Amino acid sequence: MAATNLNPAGRSPPGSQAAPRLRRTAWFGLRNGEWALLAAIAVAFLLTGLVDSNHSYFKDPWVSLTDIARNTAMLGIFALGATVVIIAGGIDLSSGSMIALSGTVCAVTMLALSPTEMMGLKPVASVVVAAGVAAALLTGFLVGTLHAWLITAVRLPPFIATLATLVGLRSFARALCESATHAITPTKSALINVYDPAFKAVRENVWVPVTVFAILALFTWVLLTRTVLGRHIHALGGNEQAARLAGIRTENVKWFAYCFGAMTAALAGLFYVANESVAQPMNQGRGHELNAIAAAVVGGCSLSGGVGTVPGTVLGAIFLRVIIDAVSKIIKTGADVYEGLIVGVVVVIAVTFSQFGALAKGGRRLLPGALGLCAIPTLSLFAGAIVSMTAGQNGGIATGVGSLLLLGLLRVWESRRDAT
Amino acid sequence: MTTPLPFAVRMLGITKRFPGVVALDDVTLEVRRGEVHAICGENGAGKSTLMKILSGVYQPDCGILEVDGSAASFTGTRDAERSGIAIIHQELALVEDLPVAANVFLGRERRGLLGLVDDRSMEDECERLFSLLECSVSPRDRTGSLRVGDQQLVEIAKALSLEASIVVMDEPTSALTEAESVRLERTIQRLVSQGTTILYISHKMDEVFRLADRITVLRDGRHVKTVDTSATSPREVTGWMVGRDIAGHGFHQERPRGAKILEVRQLTLPWPEHPRGYRLKDISFDLHAGEILGVAGLMGAGRTELLEVLFGAGEDTWTGTVSLYGKSVRFDHPSEACRARIAMVSEDRKRLGLFPDLDVAGNVSLCALHEALRNGLLSRAAEEDLAAGPVRDTGVKTPGLHAAITGLSGGNQQKCIIGRWLLTKPEVLLLDDPTRGIDVGAKAELYTLIDRLCRQGLGVILTSSELPELLTLADRIIVLAEGRLTAELPRSGATEARIMEAATAG
Repeated sequence: MAATNLNPAGRSPPGSQAAPRLRRTAWFGLRNGEWALLAAIAVAFLLTGLVDSNHSYFKDPWVSLTDIARNTAMLGIFALGATVVIIAGGIDLSSGSMIALSGTVCAVTMLALSPTEMMGLKPVASVVVAAGVAAALLTGFLVGTLHAWLITAVRLPPFIATLATLVGLRSFARALCESATHAITPTKSALINVYDPAFKAVRENVWVPVTVFAILALFTWVLLTRTVLGRHIHALGGNEQAARLAGIRTENVKWFAYCFGAMTAALAGLFYVANESVAQPMNQGRGHELNAIAAAVVGGCSLSGGVGTVPGTVLGAIFLRVIIDAVSKIIKTGADVYEGLIVGVVVVIAVTFSQFGALAKGGRRLLPGALGLCAIPTLSLFAGAIVSMTAGQNGGIATGVGSLLLLGLLRVWESRRDAT
Repeated sequence: MTTPLPFAVRMLGITKRFPGVVALDDVTLEVRRGEVHAICGENGAGKSTLMKILSGVYQPDCGILEVDGSAASFTGTRDAERSGIAIIHQELALVEDLPVAANVFLGRERRGLLGLVDDRSMEDECERLFSLLECSVSPRDRTGSLRVGDQQLVEIAKALSLEASIVVMDEPTSALTEAESVRLERTIQRLVSQGTTILYISHKMDEVFRLADRITVLRDGRHVKTVDTSATSPREVTGWMVGRDIAGHGFHQERPRGAKILEVRQLTLPWPEHPRGYRLKDISFDLHAGEILGVAGLMGAGRTELLEVLFGAGEDTWTGTVSLYGKSVRFDHPSEACRARIAMVSEDRKRLGLFPDLDVAGNVSLCALHEALRNGLLSRAAEEDLAAGPVRDTGVKTPGLHAAITGLSGGNQQKCIIGRWLLTKPEVLLLDDPTRGIDVGAKAELYTLIDRLCRQGLGVILTSSELPELLTLADRIIVLAEGRLTAELPRSGATEARIMEAATAG
């Protein structure tokens, strides 16, 4: 029988009058939160330039800029992967270990193909470098496939599946490094030096990671906003069951998302090796998965899925690295101790700010009841301790007392507001 | 009503504004002690907001609340509970992983020796309450393992354990089977005979007229009328609810019936973990183009499972044959059914249909995105043109294609989802209880839409929990009872009584 065409939509004139278009909530492609992030980055730059006693941002901007650019690119590359996974409603905790594994696989491949050059710290053939890079990226694909299989077929929650690989892959990378060096070289080793000029060139030319990051960001942005697969990723993260019932092959979309996450981490792992001239599975990328997730969250991704943008994540990564750099400029020595602390504080403040509108409008209290009362000294104590360790005891005491007073006033103001 | 009873609750001049809307505008509600007072109104009329003010969830912007003759002001549900008001929400608020007794006493756990939780005494009290409610559930059962009807009784037991003198029930029967509804009605009558006041929110006129002493009608956040049930008729009340007289739908004119599209033979869906052993057994029927086939049955009869099998959405493997245009088919994934031009609008709109993070256009275009590709990339303009068609044809009322889908009313959301599927140019449309939770006016619009689609040549399979809906729309009705097909009735031979008889057949 003839199929009746029931789709008048196909014939409807373009720009039909049925529904007036609303003004969009984005200006020049950026949303409100993203503009705020951009402003925060500018403010952080200015403040650091002023507060830093060397004024290195004003005197020698190029050094700081290349430093921030390299670090941002290396974080940003796998933060883009984390963004895709998070929008698809999942989480990938394993990217730090994937970085270590990718570097190790690359170095082991090169060692196996030209052992004498590698051991003699000499250049290797470019086809060997290409083989190392290809092996690393292929490993990313395999790990992504493993994640997707564990999550869709075995039905492990993503948190559990990638927690297992977070722990397992680093150990696997270390074992791989030791047994490969044992088999190929005279001694067992926990690291493999990589002195090839190709890697050296990447280390010395900051534009390489920055360009790779920019191209990857553009690719991811097009993927998420302008392709059917990107829309399906959003749909999957927003409502998985509805996505399946809408005829979307959700398991394939997940497969893609986890492969993209693992392969971007593998790509980042190559830059880690280049940057440090060594594949060192024990510590490379350790804990960095959380920085990537933090960049995505600061950039506006929702961990419940369906929400997030590429510009947001790019700005989130820049913001994190700018703040980390600012602190190292201000404290001068031993600033790496504070890196985790900074990331933690930035995430809390960024997400609190994104709820600021709801907080102000809904009349919700920031310091309610007994919990709020206990939070006041807790927060003041932390603030005071941090400042006294970085800027001296007097500043610490002043900050602690100041926070106590400010939070106390906020508490009084909130109680008064609710009483009326 | 011979002697007017004193008022249990008086809400005078209640106004409540939310950003952008006035949910309640100068509403007055007076409830006499010991009566069943029904509150009727379309979705969005303000019934639930009014009840949330009564139970302390919201505070009114202005107006007076009196309970048992004295002024009251609640800043939380605990305050309301202390004044003897308990509310049973439409969406049940139970912790599924806890045992039943723990849910009944949640937040008010009884303590025993050393301040430890006294499970024993709570379970005994639960047992006592359940026997009052004719409920055979054990207090130790995991709450999530209960049927919806029994979960509702757990909520009622919670209200009873508070010794509430005023119980608010927000659409309690929307998820119940006929038998469970009857049991609930008995419970309500028993509560009333013990002096409890009941506020009963419902769409269903037959229930309201069986139970209520008086009826208050709200419309668009305003009070329309309060009347004695004996002095009015269901038709009059529905008229007040929608602000117009709902005409009987003229869908009974013969629709031309086309060729056979779908043939289902001996369809069986096993269910190994259940004593019955099957979800569906030996189901056979045909579907023709231009025909609406109604599927009736109580909850758990297998209506949804049947549609899921046809759509490839089920997880389990089934036996039997399904032929589409004479060719045997077996779909393992909804995408295969889509390609074969079958579409399904699933039962639970929020959980199974909507994408809250996509806007109206994104929700409508989702299944036909390849048509919005320009040079291999999605074009927003093309996508909007694509979505504009079904949005207009199904009559979605939306401020624009960029509007958030969650901001639309249930009826408009459902039209968006139907529109989404129309873009796939289906030849078979499976509608699983499409008007559930949708107000009267929007229902009528959906009926017109379904009738029109059918006249355009679609074969429609429609399930519904409301028999009048099937009798209004369907050309033929098949009845399922516990997974078996117990009757196939032409429209001329179908009555509510005959359908119920078949649906309850062993």
